[in-house]
Amino acid sequence: MSYTNAADASSIAVVYAGILRGFSRMRRLPSLMIPSILMPVFFVIAFSGSFASIVELDGYETDKAVNWMTAWAVMQGAAFSGMGAGGLAATDLENGFFDRLRVAPIRPMAIIGGLVGYCVCRALIPITAVLIVAFGLLHAEMPGGILGFVMVYLSGIGMAAIMGLFVLGIVFTFRTLKSLAIGQIFMFSAMFLSVGQAPIQAIDGWLHNVAAVNPVTNVIRMCRQGFLGEVTWSVTQPGLIALAGMMIGTSIWARIRYKKVDI
Amino acid sequence: MLRQPQSWAPGLFFPLLLAAVYSSQFSKAVDIAGFPFQNVSFLDFVLPACVIQGVLFGSTNSASDLAADIENSFMDRLLVSPVSRASILLARLASAFMYGVVQAGILITIFLIFGANIAGGLPSMISIVLIAALLAVSIGSFGIAIALRTGSQEVVQSTFPLIFVAIFVSSAFFPVQLMEGWYGSIAQKNPLTWIIDPTRRMAIVGFSWKDLGQSLGIISAIASLGIGISIRQLRRRLARAQ
Repeated sequence: MSYTNAADASSIAVVYAGILRGFSRMRRLPSLMIPSILMPVFFVIAFSGSFASIVELDGYETDKAVNWMTAWAVMQGAAFSGMGAGGLAATDLENGFFDRLRVAPIRPMAIIGGLVGYCVCRALIPITAVLIVAFGLLHAEMPGGILGFVMVYLSGIGMAAIMGLFVLGIVFTFRTLKSLAIGQIFMFSAMFLSVGQAPIQAIDGWLHNVAAVNPVTNVIRMCRQGFLGEVTWSVTQPGLIALAGMMIGTSIWARIRYKKVDI
Repeated sequence: MLRQPQSWAPGLFFPLLLAAVYSSQFSKAVDIAGFPFQNVSFLDFVLPACVIQGVLFGSTNSASDLAADIENSFMDRLLVSPVSRASILLARLASAFMYGVVQAGILITIFLIFGANIAGGLPSMISIVLIAALLAVSIGSFGIAIALRTGSQEVVQSTFPLIFVAIFVSSAFFPVQLMEGWYGSIAQKNPLTWIIDPTRRMAIVGFSWKDLGQSLGIISAIASLGIGISIRQLRRRLARAQ
């Protein structure tokens, strides 16, 4: 095995170990998972209940609010899970464990990969919980069939990875657990300034323009399409491009900020 | 407040974000058949709810500070000093009230700058500020009881999702008349709905003593319960300290 191949193999092992470590911590501190499962489940119940009549307006393409709001709750749950990577890294930075990780002979991207891998795997739990409540309790429909569910999970894990990378960049910059609040503000802003709760046709004024260019809009549309009808390439493609673009951008951001940890 | 802006800034940011987003996203919702107010903007509709939401988000601050005092033993030092025991509780409640007044005042000013209209004029504005501040006291008193009982900041802060749930399962962001099924039934029975609805009428229709009385009556009932529990917890802690 050449040196490069050996390093690659060890990087995969580091990523895998990082994911396992995250889940061990989650098993030890189950209270960490409660908000990231309960909040999205509450969101799907609250938004479907509160805004039950909103689907009477043009543009919603469904007669049940739950079909519209489930994708929104899934995205929220995924984004909350993404914050988990930042929480784990910030704890390590505060207690000094991260310094030991940095002096170990492993690639920085393997450390970042482990943290992001953990939050991506973790995102599957709230996504599934939201879907169980939406279909079991609130009688959501999925005319898009299996492909619709694939889109939900694909968008969800993509959003978790993006949010994880973004929050890692913030945590590497400020090196405190409190800096997660900054990440939350960005997360909520990006999610709310999109078509999360209302279609673009129903949005007026400045928010219409912001939501139209917000890449999160395309990801939510991709996630939601199966609830509203058939899954189509014309909706999936912009979503995949938005996910890829944000993934590249946030990866570069996290990697650059990682270099600054010591400064 | 001056030393720790991170404790009150989210209480301003989130209500303003929600108001800005909802007034654009749901601007056409006022045209839905059965919407209880005519010729009103959605911004006007959510104004009282956003003010109350912002104040409630910050209502646990006093309780959290009290829990911090217990955690770092400042409370023990306070108890051996010749201060009135009642003042320990009253100071926290007064702090919650003042915090509510300042935050509600700031939120209403920002809403007015961005085009919101309060039909009742100054009497309605003062009423909304008073209702928001007294609600902060009444909900804050439950937080103070929890702080006295547990002495843990973390436990006090973990009550935040309950406030979040209580606000959303009410008429805060959408009229209960347009909600369906069990969710609508719970929202109708939520005491926050009974406070928000008359407060909203004072903002949209005009000032009314009846609406002010209804809001303050319910808040007084909640506050009596919360303060009663706080006094009991304070006595319990004092008995343990002796």
